[in-house]
Amino acid sequence: MNLDLPKNGYSRKLAYVILAIAALFVLRLFYLQIIKHSYYVDQARAIQERRFVLPAQRGEIYALDGESPVKLVMNQTVYTVFADPKTITQKDEIIETLREVAGGNLRQGFADLLDQTDTRYQVLGTKLTTTQRDKIKAKNYYGIGFQAVSQRVYPEGKLASQVLGFVNAEGTGAYGIEGYMNERLKGEDGLLQSVADVRDVPLTIGKNNIRIEPQNGDDLVLSIDRNIQSKVEQAILAGVDRTGAPQISALVMNPNTGRVMAMANYPSYNPAEFYKVRDAAIFNNNTISVPYEPGSTIKAFTMATAIDKNVAHATDTYNNTDYITVGDRTISNASKGRTGLITFQTAMEWSLNTGFVTIAQRLGDGRNINRTARDTMYDYFYNRFRLGQATGVELSNEAYGSIISPQSSMGNEVRYSNMSFGQGMESTMLQVAAGFSSAVNGGTYYQPSVVAGVLKGGEIESTKPEVKQAGLIAGSTSRELVGMLQQARRSSFPGADKPGYIVGGKTGTSQVIRNGAYSEAETIASYVGFGGSDRPEYVIMIQVAGKDRVWQGSRDAMPIFTDISNWMIDYLKLRPKG
Amino acid sequence: MPTGGWSRRQPKSGEVVRRHRPDYKIALYTAILMLLGLVVMYALGPQRAHVMNAAMGSNYSDSYFFIKQVAHIVLAAGAFVFVAFVPVKIYYKLATPLLIAALAACTVLLFAGWLDLPFAPEINGARSWFSLGALGSFQPSELLKLALVVYLGVFLGIRVKQGLINDFDKTILPLAVILGLVVFFVVLAQRDLGTGMATLMMVAAMLFMAGLSKRWFAIFGAVVLVGGLVMTLAYPHRMSRLTTFLKGDETSVSDDSTYHIENAKIAIGTGGLFGVGIGNSVQATGYLPEVINDSIFAVMGEVFGFVGLVALIAIFVAMLLRILRTAEFLVDYRLKLMAAGVFGWFGSHVILNIAAIIGLMPLTGITLPLVSYGGTSMLFMAAALGLVFQLSRYTIHPSHTKEIAKYENSSSRRRVGRARHSSSRRSS
Repeated sequence: MNLDLPKNGYSRKLAYVILAIAALFVLRLFYLQIIKHSYYVDQARAIQERRFVLPAQRGEIYALDGESPVKLVMNQTVYTVFADPKTITQKDEIIETLREVAGGNLRQGFADLLDQTDTRYQVLGTKLTTTQRDKIKAKNYYGIGFQAVSQRVYPEGKLASQVLGFVNAEGTGAYGIEGYMNERLKGEDGLLQSVADVRDVPLTIGKNNIRIEPQNGDDLVLSIDRNIQSKVEQAILAGVDRTGAPQISALVMNPNTGRVMAMANYPSYNPAEFYKVRDAAIFNNNTISVPYEPGSTIKAFTMATAIDKNVAHATDTYNNTDYITVGDRTISNASKGRTGLITFQTAMEWSLNTGFVTIAQRLGDGRNINRTARDTMYDYFYNRFRLGQATGVELSNEAYGSIISPQSSMGNEVRYSNMSFGQGMESTMLQVAAGFSSAVNGGTYYQPSVVAGVLKGGEIESTKPEVKQAGLIAGSTSRELVGMLQQARRSSFPGADKPGYIVGGKTGTSQVIRNGAYSEAETIASYVGFGGSDRPEYVIMIQVAGKDRVWQGSRDAMPIFTDISNWMIDYLKLRPKG
Repeated sequence: MPTGGWSRRQPKSGEVVRRHRPDYKIALYTAILMLLGLVVMYALGPQRAHVMNAAMGSNYSDSYFFIKQVAHIVLAAGAFVFVAFVPVKIYYKLATPLLIAALAACTVLLFAGWLDLPFAPEINGARSWFSLGALGSFQPSELLKLALVVYLGVFLGIRVKQGLINDFDKTILPLAVILGLVVFFVVLAQRDLGTGMATLMMVAAMLFMAGLSKRWFAIFGAVVLVGGLVMTLAYPHRMSRLTTFLKGDETSVSDDSTYHIENAKIAIGTGGLFGVGIGNSVQATGYLPEVINDSIFAVMGEVFGFVGLVALIAIFVAMLLRILRTAEFLVDYRLKLMAAGVFGWFGSHVILNIAAIIGLMPLTGITLPLVSYGGTSMLFMAAALGLVFQLSRYTIHPSHTKEIAKYENSSSRRRVGRARHSSSRRSS
């Protein structure tokens, strides 16, 4: 290099110093930028790169309004308002505006939080609407921020709350369809792997950015009909008023598809305020989650078995003494006096236990409920009508119930005599209603379901009803049973139904086990029945219960059925026959 | 003004060097560096504004830093031109008042700081700025550097001429008093060790050109070293900077004390050979502290890469060599030492800033001259360069110095506006 400076001069020495330092710098830069380049690129990625979750939108839940979908559960963006107390400048003005715009959403003592100037994040209020947020945002306060939060909103309020379930604080569905279908509703979160600035705001800079779009959850359409559901809930409340029962459940299903059209319980809760519920038992959907001894409603199944096995028909007779001995037990009728040679139709009408124990005996050798009789009953009850097995309905917390197999030592003659009128076994209301549906629809068991389909682009993509088993009883059996149940209803509750329709059903007043023995002081009342013009178009099941009270099927449960049934005939616009 | 005997390599006493064309390269390099800084302000200003707004609650617009830097450059260019055309003789008269004014400003800052007056705010633990409200801020230590260049240039120049440069009573003692005051104000009162070091390096360059003996240099160096150690040990933040430095490249962003230097190295390292390009800096989005001030070299490394930084260093070196050359070929020792002072000023800033940012020295918090964002430092640096620019009109032709006359070719010779006759020279 031509320094143009005198040799050995001071300036030349200074120039050498400068050149030496510059050379050192260049060497160092070569080391940092060339040799260690990839090391520092890795270091940079470690501090600059972030993985952001692109949240998938949770699927919304619809009910049917006739044929068209209506929203039961929707998403709404609400805002959490927070402050950075260190940087706020207009404290008094902020307090005033917040009180004015979002008074009800503010945390208690939020004004004091603003004084904590050594903190950088204080939540002042939650669940502000977009309007509220916009009003505050328009003021442009420094140090006030908003965070969008998606929350579930229920335009129909408490309607079908125990079918729906709720989404908990972690964003996971719990109970009901939200719980069972959580994965499908949730969808799949997307991912954004991106270089971000120091405040975690993603930047468009960088070559390694990855973006995986979120897959939103399915919008489900329930088979629940909003109008039927609403009617059923009203009928339950009317029943609560009339009977004073602390607990009533009801469900309505289509026996020809297995679709549940309504499912309701009292008491229930408001899913928007699930966190206010103190007793978690209220979250349970009683119709599927709480097995009970179904009692006399099961007599319809025993009768169906008898007809199908051709051991007893409506007009066949037996000798009723109001008492019948099985093994070491004597079983009596609840309603006494119709002694002598009577038909099974009469036994059905008066719900006489002796008639159905007789049927159980006739399924065997005519005198004993032998192994053949028990195997037959088990086959019909468990394998065909699927009592004591979870139905697989798309709702969480479904109970199994139980039917003791004849193979078990517990599955003896006494038990099976009890089972002939619905004691000594456990099932849920949905199991009874679904089995009953298959008994009255000609013998086809449809998979019970609360889902009608998926909403895609405004259109319902329907799922087909699933036949679990066809021909589980003969068509003639089914028709005869329908006739018997119709007659039983007509004779017991004349004038209850609109004329010109086939309406039939069976009451149940089941004893409950208290302290290891059947209690005389507490029963569960139930009613299962159907209605239609040519064939059963709906099946309604009612249950009335409450601790330490005797609830009777005919007095407490049946009127609720009647209330719903007559309304259903109008709602479904069924044409009267003749 | 005392006149003494001229020392070595001087034209005949009394000979007047005629004014000739200045060294335009000084102006050119000044402009290039300023524009480079402006490009960075343009590219990173918006990100800087976002970071500041988010962290401090300020409300800077995207173009704030760019526009302010344009204003700084206009002011600095004005200072350059002004100083370049003010007759050089004025400095002989101005030397003492200028130094008194600078020391007075430092004194006012000191007392205002004690009284906690609003125009002397504490920023990052240091009280080295006057806050002038809407007019911006002003750092008296920069004025002090300019005053020292002029004052010591004249003072030492005369002592050289008198041959008393190594005289204890006449030179060393007054010098020690002045430097003592400088250290007191800058390092102790204003707690600005970086500027103190830069100022001492500047004075050292002047003393070296003045021919101070090795003995005095050794003493000077020893005192500075001991003083520096004491200053470091006495203040924990300096100690932590030192220990950070001693960790070498074993630094990480998770450690507060190494956060700055590690992010600087990440910025430089990711730049690679050609850089990530303008607008693609990630480190400027809040990771690298002081990104457009003290850390600008690092972020330029990220943006322009190894090639860009070597080019930048080359411009700095070229500038320093031009200043050095001007100093070398000035005849009047007062002027020669002023030029040497500017060389030391400019050089110390370049070296202290770059060395710290690339991890060869502890961080001291000093700007990269002409490139960093900032008004005061750029204003005074430009004024100092304007002075050198003017002085470059009064250099003699290199052929007038016998050491290089024999073999220097004439291609790079600057034309001088005087006859190329050789005159008799005295050598010491």
